[in-house]
Parts: sequence; structure tokens; C-alpha cells
Amino acid sequence: MLVEHIVVKEVTKRFPGTLALDKVSFTVYRGEIHALLGENGAGKSTLVKILYGIYTPDEGEVYINGKKLVITSPRDAVAHGIVLVSQTPTLINDLTIVENIILSLRHYNLFTRTRRVYSEVYSVLESLGLGIDPNTEVYKLTYTQKQMIEIARALLLKAKVLLLDEATSYLPLTEKKKLFDFLKKYVKKGNSVILITHKLPEALEISDRITVLRKGKVVGTVEKKKADITVIRRMMFGDTEFAPEAIKQRESIGNGVTLFIENLWVKGELGEYMVRNVTLSVRKGEILGIAGITGSGQIELFEAIMGLRKVERGIIKIDGVDTTNKDTGFIRSLGVGYIPDNPLEHGLSIDHTLAENIALCPKYSSFIIDWHAIRQDADRLVREYGIVTPSINTPIKLLSGGNLMKMLISRELEYATKLLVAYNPTRGLDEYTANKVRRNIKEKKAKEGLSVIFASEDLDEIFELSDTIAVMNSGRIVGVFDKYRATRDRVEELMVM
Amino acid sequence: MYIVQVLSTTAPLMLAYYLASLGHSIVEKSGVLNLAIDGVFVLSVAVAFAQAIYTWNNPLIPVVISVASSIAVGLILVYTTSKLPVSHGAIGLSLMFLCYGLSGVIGVPARTQQGLTGQEVGYPISPVSSVWVLLYIVVVGLGFLLHYILERTKLGAMIKASGEDPLVAEALGVDVLKTRILAGVLGFALIGLGASAFELLYTRIWREGTGIGHGWIAFAVSLSSGRHPLLGIITAFLFALLYEYRFSILAVGLPREMADALPYITAITAMVIYMATPLKTKLKTPKSLGKPFFKEERTI
Repeated sequence: MLVEHIVVKEVTKRFPGTLALDKVSFTVYRGEIHALLGENGAGKSTLVKILYGIYTPDEGEVYINGKKLVITSPRDAVAHGIVLVSQTPTLINDLTIVENIILSLRHYNLFTRTRRVYSEVYSVLESLGLGIDPNTEVYKLTYTQKQMIEIARALLLKAKVLLLDEATSYLPLTEKKKLFDFLKKYVKKGNSVILITHKLPEALEISDRITVLRKGKVVGTVEKKKADITVIRRMMFGDTEFAPEAIKQRESIGNGVTLFIENLWVKGELGEYMVRNVTLSVRKGEILGIAGITGSGQIELFEAIMGLRKVERGIIKIDGVDTTNKDTGFIRSLGVGYIPDNPLEHGLSIDHTLAENIALCPKYSSFIIDWHAIRQDADRLVREYGIVTPSINTPIKLLSGGNLMKMLISRELEYATKLLVAYNPTRGLDEYTANKVRRNIKEKKAKEGLSVIFASEDLDEIFELSDTIAVMNSGRIVGVFDKYRATRDRVEELMVM
Repeated sequence: MYIVQVLSTTAPLMLAYYLASLGHSIVEKSGVLNLAIDGVFVLSVAVAFAQAIYTWNNPLIPVVISVASSIAVGLILVYTTSKLPVSHGAIGLSLMFLCYGLSGVIGVPARTQQGLTGQEVGYPISPVSSVWVLLYIVVVGLGFLLHYILERTKLGAMIKASGEDPLVAEALGVDVLKTRILAGVLGFALIGLGASAFELLYTRIWREGTGIGHGWIAFAVSLSSGRHPLLGIITAFLFALLYEYRFSILAVGLPREMADALPYITAITAMVIYMATPLKTKLKTPKSLGKPFFKEERTI
């Protein structure tokens, strides 16, 4: 017997200049995992944020267990058993795990000692396979651990409905499997899960039903048994063609070395070495992919290359120029593009407009800003990358997460002439756009001899994009493979070794 | 014996500075930049004085009303800065000047009456009796209590969360406005208590402008302790000592301006030391201190 758990009826939500949701209706049954799919900016995040009380709908109704509800804050949502876990961990870095969790537990009063929750938190963390002391400050945790803390929090809140907004995107494979097993058990107890993901196979693997959104409207809901990947792709992207990735890669690699790193040592946030004795080189027109679980030192390595983090020992040369501990402006002026791990904080200025964000690129920043050229370039990038925005003069904080990423990638790819340093270059992008970005990178490498060093937690991407694969583990490079000689098993083994 | 004399003479001013700085720290830990502190301090001093005159030096009423007036001004600051997208600095400084003015309006008539009746206010702390020891006990006790609340209870986690990242705090289920109001009531009550101690235990006289600058010293005490309740005990003592013995410092030959600037030089030195050492992770400024906080804006 199917019992309606959540019913969304004709919900509309507008943001300045955009219609994010247009009369969206859909139903989640008790005990099901319901996947919500759609391209970037389709309105998936907006929809779950409405369920979680972060936004209130302009029109329409939400029913939980048959009762009409107006959810005006996350507190409200939690009280009704709805908890959101998003792609970016919603935790306060300077507080401990216990402190973060007690903030959400309403049944404790103001003067409850945090210690009282300690054992409760500890046992839930343990059940999720995390052996962390709950008194650890959150900033010391890796991304994966933070995501698991969020899930632990949801469990402690006795969530009946778990909203997972891209929460599984960057989990390493083993953690993801554990989590999926857990979710299957979880819904058997009469709870429900709404899962947003960009990975269609993932959605097909775990969900019971799939609803596809497109440009703020529901395209349809299908049962897993009747769905296959091409049907869903068509629902998501219409008749947009998926160009096959047929760019000849090997020939484009030249002999010159673009990036040369020797015996590099770099310290992390807490003063311990995160990059240990790394030696790497990237040839002209070569794409080097760094595989590794989050927190293996990739971020610190990239920051050192970009002059954002002090090199303790070792040498970095870009195109023959010694750039060790040089400032970022100088390094970028050599033609180096950069996609940082936290694009919103380090790559974009979200209070400024799209055109202004493009103007930040060094090539425009002479004494007088050439706004005419910037606007032309901005218009072109919006067209070429399909960035959904009301205009180039819109503050980019009004753009969806995927569109922000597109804007950053387009700018950096456009700017980079010698080297592109990228961390998770397709983070948060839908399948179509991610493919397109990979193709653009390959094209630029083939035509202009661009060298690329990138890191990704997504092994599929590593294998698809790289010419050479390096595996990083605990700050060291533990293996370098030619793409055609590397096997997935071997790489995964080295990652977690 | 010399130490006892130093400790006993420094006690009242230390108590005043410590209470006010502790209150200030709590307000700022919740994310509200408190530039109104000097004004609030001066206003509460005037209220304590006026009420002491009108109640014939009642030991309780002046303190209660002084604390209430401090809370009232504090709530205006906390409410406007947390509910509306306004600058914390602008509101804080405007309130400071408003309070300076009000302190005159409230204090001057009482001063006139004092001229007529000769009523004395306050309670001198004699170094001979051991009452001054009690003041230290109060300071240390409060220090530990507030440290416990901030580091070991849910309320403490809520206050710190509101100051670090109010949007995330809100998403985690904290009512940031309510938390800041709670922190504001507690904090400004302590500031009012500090001001009452300043008037009734330390100066025991009033003329227009009494207390001006001392709120800023409390501000500096709080800053140079990294807003830490226990470290604040040390910095409050140090600042009270520097102020109490400023004439002795002058006697050494230091120019007067230099002597006046000593508390601030100490504050800057302390902050530089914190930032240059591993202490910075424990004693850093709340990340969202003084930043306007709107809930309604679209976040990514």
C-alpha cells in the first residue's frame, strides 16, 4: 500500500529575473527513495530548500502526512521530521562536532551540558562507521567526514524525510556504498529520502522513482523499473545532442615541460605537512589527473602552485620560470588559469555582477577597464557555455550553483594559455554541461597546447580526461600511470592504501 | 604588605572593568559589534549616581535601574543590527552619542540635588577590612561561570554559532535573533553592573562626563583577552593597575599622553601576540562580527 508522505502542489517560486519553479507538483510515498533530476538551474535545489523552510513558496501548497503545512524556517522543517543535507556541509567550523549537533536538538534546554550529548553522538557516528571523537573541532575534518556528520545529525534529529542535495556527489566510492546500504535500511522503517544527484547511474541504482525537472517545470515521474538512462536523459535535456568525445588526445602532447615540480613540501592549515616530497611534471598539451580521496594534499599542492600557500621546500617552475613562492598575480600573468576547491569563496565574488566577475581576470585589469570588451566577452561566454542568467549585469549570487560554476570555468578556461590548475572542474555540473566542459578542456589542449593539472574525487572523470594519472595519498604521489596502462582497481587501491 | 595594598586599591576598578568587558565579550561573541559600549557605560554610571541620590544611597535600587537602562540601550543595538540590514558601527556610534547626552540629562538634576542635600553616594572599599577580597572572588567566580556557559553548554554553542556564521547557525536550527537578544541581555546587564561598580565603589562622585573613556578601556580589556572570560581576569587586572597607578608612571618621567595611551598600547601588543602565535585559533575574532545578517537573501 502506497501512503503519501510528502505532496507538493503547484508550487511556484520566483527570484529577481528568474522563475525558479513553475507550478511544480510531485509526490513522495512513505518508504521510498525518490530521485530528483534535472540540468543545472532546473530548480531542484530550490524545491528542497522550500521543503526545508529556507525559502517560502510564492504560490502553492505543501502537505506532509496529508496535513497542509507552511514551513517558514529550518527549525519548522526539523520539527516536522524533515532534514536537509547539502553538497556543502552546513556546519560551523570553529565549533566541535558535539556543539554543532546540540544546536539542532530542540529537546535540550539552554543550559544542557554539551557533554550529555557526547555518548549519543558517539554511538551514532560509530554506527555510520566513523571513529571520530565528537569533541573534535569541525575544521579539522575532511569533506567526507563532514558529510557523514551531517547525516549523523539528521539521524539524531529523528528525521523522517531526508533531503540529500548532491550530498553524495563527492563521497569516495566505499563511503557511498556504505551510505546507500544505510539508506535502503532507513527507508524500510517507513522513512523517505529525496535524493538530488547529477549522476544518472547513481539515481537509477538506488532510487525507487525518479522525477525530472526542467527549467522549473516537472517533466515527469517514472518508476525505476520502467526507466532507462536514455529516456531520462531525453527528459532532462530534451533533444540536446550528446556529442561523443572523440578528440584525439595523444598526438597533442609536446616535448616541452610546462609545469615542473621537484621535492615539494607544503604545510596545511594546522601546520603539519600536507604535501610531502612531491615531484611531478606536466608536458605541453598534457592533462595530468590527480586521483586521491579528499584531503590527501591536492588542495595544498594546487594552492602552492598558485602562490596561495607557502612552499617550505622544493621548486615549482612554470614554463621554465621559477615561480616558487612568487605572488599569485605574477603566476597568473604567465597564463595560468585556476579553478579553486571552494569556488564561491576563492574564485568568484558573489555580490558582483557576471560582467564584473569577468573583469576580475588579469587580462582586463590595466589602468583603465575596457568595459566594452568585457561585456562582449561576457555575452559570448554566456552563450557558449549556456549560463542561465537574466543578464550579464545580474549579481551572480542570484545564479544557481551549477551556473556559477559554469561562469568560473568559462572565465578561467578562456584566460588560461599555458596551464590550467583545476580542482573538481565539473563539480555541481549536470551531465551535459560536465561533458561539454571536459570537451572544451580537451579542445583547448589539442588546439592550443594547454597543459592541465586537475584533481577530482570522481574517478570516472580522472579516467576520462587525463593523459596521465597520478595517485596522491597522504601528501605523497604513490603512483603515476599512463592513462592506457592504469586500471581502476589499482588506482583505487593506491588511493586508500 | 605592599602587594595587599596594590590588590586592595585596584580591586574596585578591576571589578568595574572586568564586569563591563565580560559583558562586551558576550555581546561580541554573538556577532554584534558593540561600539555603543562607552556610551552605555557612561549612561549607566549617571543612572546609578542619580538613583543613589534619589534613594538615599539604597544599595540595590541604583544598581537594578542602572542595569535595566544598560539592557534597554543594548537591546536597541542588538535588535536593529540583527533584524535589519544596517551597519553595526553606525548604530553603535549613534547610540553612544545618544547615551552621552542622556547621561547629562539624567545626572545633572541629581547633581544639583546633591549640592543641596550633601547626600553621599557609594561604598568605599577599605584596604583594612577584607571586603576587597570578596570582589576578587566575585570576578574569578563569574569568570569561571561564564567560561563554563560559553564552552560547555548549548547556550554557549548557540552564542558562538551566531557570531561565527549566523546563516549556517540558522540552518542548524538556532534562532539567531533570539540568541543575540539573550546574549545582549546578559552582556549589557554585566556592562550595567560594571558601570554601577565604577560609580558606587570606585569614583563615588559624579560630574558631567564621568566614565567617558572607561567604556573604551573595558572594550580594550575584552579585545586584549581575545574575549576569553578567564584571560579577561588578567587583562582587567592589568588595565586597572595601569590606570590606578598612572600617576606613579608619570613620576617615572613618562609623558602624560604616553601614560594615558598605555592601556591601548597594551591591547594592541596583546592582540599582536595572539595573532602571531598558535593562540590565534582559540582567541580569534568571531567570523561574522559586525556583518549585517539577512535571512531572506538567496544563498547558494
